[in-house]
Amino acid sequence: MTHPVHILLVDDDPAENLIMRGLMKKVSSIEIHLHYCETIDAALDFIKSGTPVAMVLMDNRLQPQCDFRETVPAMRQHGFIGPIGVISSSLADPYFQKFEEYGADFRIDKAELDPTAIEFILREYVTKS
Amino acid sequence: MANYQKNHRQYYFDSDLEKALNRVDFFRIFHTMTLRYGFDHFGILQLGNEGDACTLTNRLALHDLPSGLAEEYDKRHRFGDSIVFKSLHTSSIPSVWKSDDLHLGNGGNLLGQLGFDILMCVPVTGMNGARYAVLFLGDGEMMEQQAHFALCYDAICAFDYFYRLVLSNKAGLGLTPREREILRWISHGKTASEIALIVSVSEHTVNSHTATILKKLDVVNRTQMVAKAIREQIIQ
Repeated sequence: MTHPVHILLVDDDPAENLIMRGLMKKVSSIEIHLHYCETIDAALDFIKSGTPVAMVLMDNRLQPQCDFRETVPAMRQHGFIGPIGVISSSLADPYFQKFEEYGADFRIDKAELDPTAIEFILREYVTKS
Repeated sequence: MANYQKNHRQYYFDSDLEKALNRVDFFRIFHTMTLRYGFDHFGILQLGNEGDACTLTNRLALHDLPSGLAEEYDKRHRFGDSIVFKSLHTSSIPSVWKSDDLHLGNGGNLLGQLGFDILMCVPVTGMNGARYAVLFLGDGEMMEQQAHFALCYDAICAFDYFYRLVLSNKAGLGLTPREREILRWISHGKTASEIALIVSVSEHTVNSHTATILKKLDVVNRTQMVAKAIREQIIQ
């Protein structure tokens, strides 16, 4: 757990980047480097650039009109095989039940993301392997 | 998965539980439950085989304890000696423990050793009789009776779903279409990362499917897995 963990946040609202950055700072057990992209195209370029990304946190809806059913398969088609978590404030939508079929690993509500949840997710998907 | 009838009296919890699919979903459910009742952390503890080498780290099936806490505890103490662990093997009545309870004695005070003031234990059972306990840890006051009852009920319901969906991937159950697909690629000599690329999922998902296939086919490695799958005509 001594190596820093690189996480990529993809969210069209820059405010979420600030909130997430604050949250990640509160995780004391692991050193996290948070990278941020505003669009799916920028995220795909970032992955292609070769920066080692241990996990992607993907906002469900990105402007102009796509959701994880398009963005996650696009990440997979570009060869990203790390864990992808979908963040949303409306997990109740029925299509969320199929997140695994679209190549996502987990889903989490924005309101549920606290330092404990982030530590758990990193333990499950990053530091264990 | 069996659907419940209305007379199985489920309360506000049911919609979230019906939708839960993986460990993160159950983490979310238990973590939210923990905070809602004024606790700080939860842990789902495997019981049984008291005599086995018994560490807190190995016994926790799911938890949200701070990273490294269980490992630190295991370095300093023997979980099997704790009064809480022993009592969970003598009674299945839910219990509440305080760190300043006098009868906890020296060396066996799990709460004091973990650094919390209050612990609530809800013993639970999987459908095949496997015994577990859901633990809630915190520094708050003693709970009201009504809240205690409600938390016990919620913990039992959530554990039932967690056991059926996550913990009980038992030998002999049929493979899902996705598991069969991954098995086929393994038989073609592909690595986990290659299969992840082919099937468009993460390497983590491929590994977790592989672990499930190993369990379901009751085999110990990928070679035996493929051999058995061919023998049983799951793949050609």
